[in-house]
Amino acid sequence: MRRWLGAAVLLLVVVIVLVPIAFMVGTSFKSNAEITQDLHLWPHTWTFANYSRLFRDSYFAQYFRNSFVVCGASVLVSLVCGSLAAYSLARFRLLAGLEKRLGFGILTVRILPPVVIVVPLFLVALKFHLLNSWLGLILVYSAFNVSFVVWMMESFFREIPLDLEEASMVDGSSRMTAFRRIVLPLAAPGLVATAIFAVIVTYNEFLVALVLTSSPGSQTVPVGASTLITRIDIDWGAMSAAGTLAAVPIVVFALIVQRHLVRGLTLGAVK
Amino acid sequence: MATAAAYVARRRRTQGAGLDRVLPYLLLAPTLLLVLAVVVYPIVYGVRQSFLNFRFGHAVGSVGFDNYRQLFHDPAFGQALWVTLKFVALAVTVETVLGLGLALLVAGALPFTRVARLVLVVPMIVTPIVVGIVFRLIYASDVGLLTTLRKDIFGGGPVFILDKGWSAFLGLVALDVWEWTPLMFLILLAGIQSLPVEPFEAARVDGAGGWRIFVDQTLPMLRSVLAVAIALRTIDAFTTFDQVFVLTKGGPGTSTQLISIYGYNTSFKFAEFGYGTAMLLAVALVVLALAALAVRLIRREARQ
Repeated sequence: MRRWLGAAVLLLVVVIVLVPIAFMVGTSFKSNAEITQDLHLWPHTWTFANYSRLFRDSYFAQYFRNSFVVCGASVLVSLVCGSLAAYSLARFRLLAGLEKRLGFGILTVRILPPVVIVVPLFLVALKFHLLNSWLGLILVYSAFNVSFVVWMMESFFREIPLDLEEASMVDGSSRMTAFRRIVLPLAAPGLVATAIFAVIVTYNEFLVALVLTSSPGSQTVPVGASTLITRIDIDWGAMSAAGTLAAVPIVVFALIVQRHLVRGLTLGAVK
Repeated sequence: MATAAAYVARRRRTQGAGLDRVLPYLLLAPTLLLVLAVVVYPIVYGVRQSFLNFRFGHAVGSVGFDNYRQLFHDPAFGQALWVTLKFVALAVTVETVLGLGLALLVAGALPFTRVARLVLVVPMIVTPIVVGIVFRLIYASDVGLLTTLRKDIFGGGPVFILDKGWSAFLGLVALDVWEWTPLMFLILLAGIQSLPVEPFEAARVDGAGGWRIFVDQTLPMLRSVLAVAIALRTIDAFTTFDQVFVLTKGGPGTSTQLISIYGYNTSFKFAEFGYGTAMLLAVALVVLALAALAVRLIRREARQ
């Protein structure tokens, strides 16, 4: 009895989650006449008109290119820097117990929402001519991500037994060789999960990109999608097509790592 | 002999006292530089800006603590703070209760839990801007999902959500609940599934009912996981921006104008960077206090 009640409630929740998304996807394949006059959940005649209009009248292809470049570069930078730092924190004793304090400070940076430093970031970027550039966004996102990478990778490195590296070092390899040959391959699953999580967060980020970019040459997908909305009369078809397209890469990514997602979203509090 | 000497020299070079002592700091350096340049320096810069007065986007003079004092005399700030507190309290409470209820219900093995978990991940990882678009489409009075459903099922007229202050506010809360209840649910489910079984069996043997077991056993053991989840969610909800920006831009009137939206408008619409920075730094202090608390909770939880 309780089993069936549970299953029924769970089914209801799944429906509540899916119907709004399905409505957006459905709307993106309706003609404008069908959207405004027919009012049905699902399109009767499917059309790609909204998508072709989106690519013809807006800079959506360029937004995607910007997003991929910025996302890829910043995740790469933060993975390299962050793994090295995490290894240092996980394996060495530093001056004055620095390894513990740094971990604390770095996680606080991660939790700090971008909105509280977005105005100073804008003023600093203005000063150093980093507005409307890939480089500005890459730098900011690298710094945001690196704190997350350090936090996640430190716990993955700690799970690897110390003996393995020591054995390799006794055999004559240097500390960094041991790190590259022994530790990194063992931590690879963690590294992949962390990377994909960083990609999701970076791709989704809106406010910093909104403030630091104002031309299609550097605007990312979320900012590009939001420019469609602020027009005076709303083109519902193009808007839902933009929403659908923007969501596709991230949903695919998330499904790959869904096992690790909760750990990432709760910053390791739940394993 | 020569190779042995070279080997010793190499060992000294890589593992000797000299390099080994600086190596940890070398490894940390790139990360620290990045964080110092992109997070710490702007904050310091921002604190300086918050003591300046801006006119037409340019600093025109120092005003001491005036920007901070202005917070207390600005009715719009008070209103934004009140809307934010209402939003956080309502959204996080509903999400916690729903998430906990669901987690308890599903804790036993159910037919399609795996598929459900896969689906439930979607709202929280989908781009927040897209969530805003989805709910614009739900609430649109002319073409929206609610209007469509009412017409198809009851033959009724359009549903207006975003035109009135109170319903727009509740619409925003509903969006947040849709987006974040799954996270609460997944965290709490993981928490419940990691609990030991013995206390529950003992309680059941003693003849305790479902409610008593929940209050006496489940809730106390779940307390720390619950605290982490609520702390993280509160910080996040406190600075919600993207979804509001797409859904209502803070309107109608100021009914959905959260502090983040008001701070953004002050800075980037009205170019009062000094006052805007002061406002957001004040928010940052609150968030930092919450974040420090959350980090402690997380560390305790992660160590267990």
